[in-house]
Amino acid sequence: MSKRVAVIGASGFVGATLVERALQSGLDVVPIIHSSGNAWRLTRHGIPLRAASLLDKQQLTSALKGCTHVVNCSRGGDDVMYEGLANLLQVSSSLGISGLVHLSSVAVYGDPPLPDSNVEGGTTAAQPGTYGWIKLRQDQMVEKAAAQGLPCAILCPPNIGGPYSGYLTSLIEALRSRSLLLMDDGNAVMNIVDVHNLCHAIELSLDRCSKEARRMFVTDDEEITWKQVIDGLIPVCGTAIDVPVVSMEALSRFGSQSVNVPRSSITRSLKHLVSDEVRAAIRKDPLLAKAEIMMRRSVTFLGTGVEQRLKLSVGGPPPLPKIAEKIKPNIRLSAQQLRGVRHSCELAKREIGYVPQYSFHQSMKAFRAWYSAHTGVNDPSWELSRYLWLKPEFLV
Amino acid sequence: MTGSFRLAIIGSGLITQASHLPAALALPKVQVTAIIDPAPARAAQVAASYGISPLIFGSIDDMQNAKACQIDGAVIATPNHTHKDLAIRCLEAGISVLIEKPLANSVADGLAIAEAAEQAGRVAAVGYWRHFSGITPLLKEVVDQQYFGTVKRFVHQFGTEGGWAPLSAYNLDRRTAGGGVLVVSGSHFIDQLLYLWGYPDTVEFRDDSAGGPEGHCEAVFNFGGESGPITGIARYSKTTRIPGGLVLETDRGILTVTESGEGSIEFRAAASPGIVQTISRGTRTGAATDEFVLQLQDFVDACLERRPPRVTARQGIESLRLIELLYSQRKPMAQDWYSGRGHKDE
Repeated sequence: MSKRVAVIGASGFVGATLVERALQSGLDVVPIIHSSGNAWRLTRHGIPLRAASLLDKQQLTSALKGCTHVVNCSRGGDDVMYEGLANLLQVSSSLGISGLVHLSSVAVYGDPPLPDSNVEGGTTAAQPGTYGWIKLRQDQMVEKAAAQGLPCAILCPPNIGGPYSGYLTSLIEALRSRSLLLMDDGNAVMNIVDVHNLCHAIELSLDRCSKEARRMFVTDDEEITWKQVIDGLIPVCGTAIDVPVVSMEALSRFGSQSVNVPRSSITRSLKHLVSDEVRAAIRKDPLLAKAEIMMRRSVTFLGTGVEQRLKLSVGGPPPLPKIAEKIKPNIRLSAQQLRGVRHSCELAKREIGYVPQYSFHQSMKAFRAWYSAHTGVNDPSWELSRYLWLKPEFLV
Repeated sequence: MTGSFRLAIIGSGLITQASHLPAALALPKVQVTAIIDPAPARAAQVAASYGISPLIFGSIDDMQNAKACQIDGAVIATPNHTHKDLAIRCLEAGISVLIEKPLANSVADGLAIAEAAEQAGRVAAVGYWRHFSGITPLLKEVVDQQYFGTVKRFVHQFGTEGGWAPLSAYNLDRRTAGGGVLVVSGSHFIDQLLYLWGYPDTVEFRDDSAGGPEGHCEAVFNFGGESGPITGIARYSKTTRIPGGLVLETDRGILTVTESGEGSIEFRAAASPGIVQTISRGTRTGAATDEFVLQLQDFVDACLERRPPRVTARQGIESLRLIELLYSQRKPMAQDWYSGRGHKDE
């Protein structure tokens, strides 16, 4: 039986690249999308698309009909990530799929990851509530399905570059707005993989799915730094770029603040319940409004001192005038420089015969060619369109 | 006609739910008498979500067979390829039509609609709602009066990574959509461009289509003009985020027209680019500001007063003519990003 590959999440960055490669190589793929709104990169080819929701087993069964392999590039809310993946694994098993390649993320090792995560066997330290945590749970689901008989492979990419890269585009936007902070002269480790290199690894993995389903890093296999990436993007920023610098200590401080996930707390919930916003909403209902007035009267009855203490406890001290920050740093992107670990793709090279098809230099050049063509940066029209792209303070 | 204007809405998809139905409900003299959709259950659900209970029909035939159903005008908000047949059916039945843009999928279909309206003595309006935005007429005045100098060049652009997903998914097929992102996102500006400068002398067009509707395109327009040549570029994308707006270079400076929110026009004089002048008409009429409400109001008034609407079918045909011209000049965009072929040498 010849190979027929269902690409779940085919309208996304990796999925669409995989499908476009298949159109070139002749690999038989079935692009499966969730919504027509995001499928323009595929529809321009005039190819048939199947629509299915991962949350609907019947739709999924119908969409996977006739397929021998599945590549899961889907992303979505918690329901899609957990219930959707469970459905996909179950339907794939029941249809006797020969191999399922699942895309994981280096985020499963935490942010920042522990030094031992230079290899796949390192500690998975993703914090609850983070994207890495969700991806880690997904990996465990795939490992379990593999152990139960569905041959699987788990590929673990870092940031993904190449044409259409949303990650590199977001770096350009941060550079233009001066919100990306550069640490350690840009010498921090950047883990990156070209989207075509990743797709090449996916294609190789289709034939190497097994019940062990070991997670494998897929990178460009070069020692890339943040400075190299930023230097590669500056030519398509369309304006002079001055990257603000930051010390590792300061960035660590910012970073630890940005990854804090709010924990549930009875006190916090009670404070929320009696906050001005919630009470204003309650007052819209005549019956609840009466109850609210009665509660207010009881508090007033307790005396001014108690009322003031309660107010301070709920609302905090009165607000002070704020000094406008000229540039708000993008901590989420900047703090990635603290990751420090270089993930090795030796296992993928050994296990699936992975060899990157494009060097980092070629990948960045391709990204710049795509970005310039699509945005008009560096064209003569940029003299005008820059008024729409750049913040007013960077126009003059 | 006395009493309410009896309106039918054909198609209960996203644009009806988000814009046409709320606009109709905002106008006191309009009564939503019927909603027609091949999925009547969805139409009923949409009506119920707004707390109304119009007649629900699965087709125009069903509506016409219902003798008790009298309609003065219809909003046609269906996939582009269905506009012609639906509009002609309504017009032949004496029902005026407000057709969601584009008027049709071809000049020939557009002409058929315009002729049907003229023969029936009914109104055929096109839903280019930007004519009802305060910004567009103001810009026209600024350009015509050369208030900030003579326009030399312009750029118009808009791009999102995907977005609007019609329930019928008609946008996936060039035959049903009549084109790609040029039609879906660009047709508003095509209409605006004709309004500002008329028909261009020459055009160029590049897109990324490989057989299906293009997801990214770039058009070049050249105008002769009495005040000297004007060259403009329009860039639209459904695959790349591109901040939307229009920038005009005049012999005195830069005019920037942004379309987000209520929109704004700003001028930066070449001599003092650090100073930004924001333009507005400076008077408030107190009228509704929602363009879809104003558009429907204009349609209803045109029907009642037996006058042409703000955007006629004939104007809609000119937009279609320019879209057809652009597609006829199509050249493929270079896309072999890794080889470097067709791209500027770095």
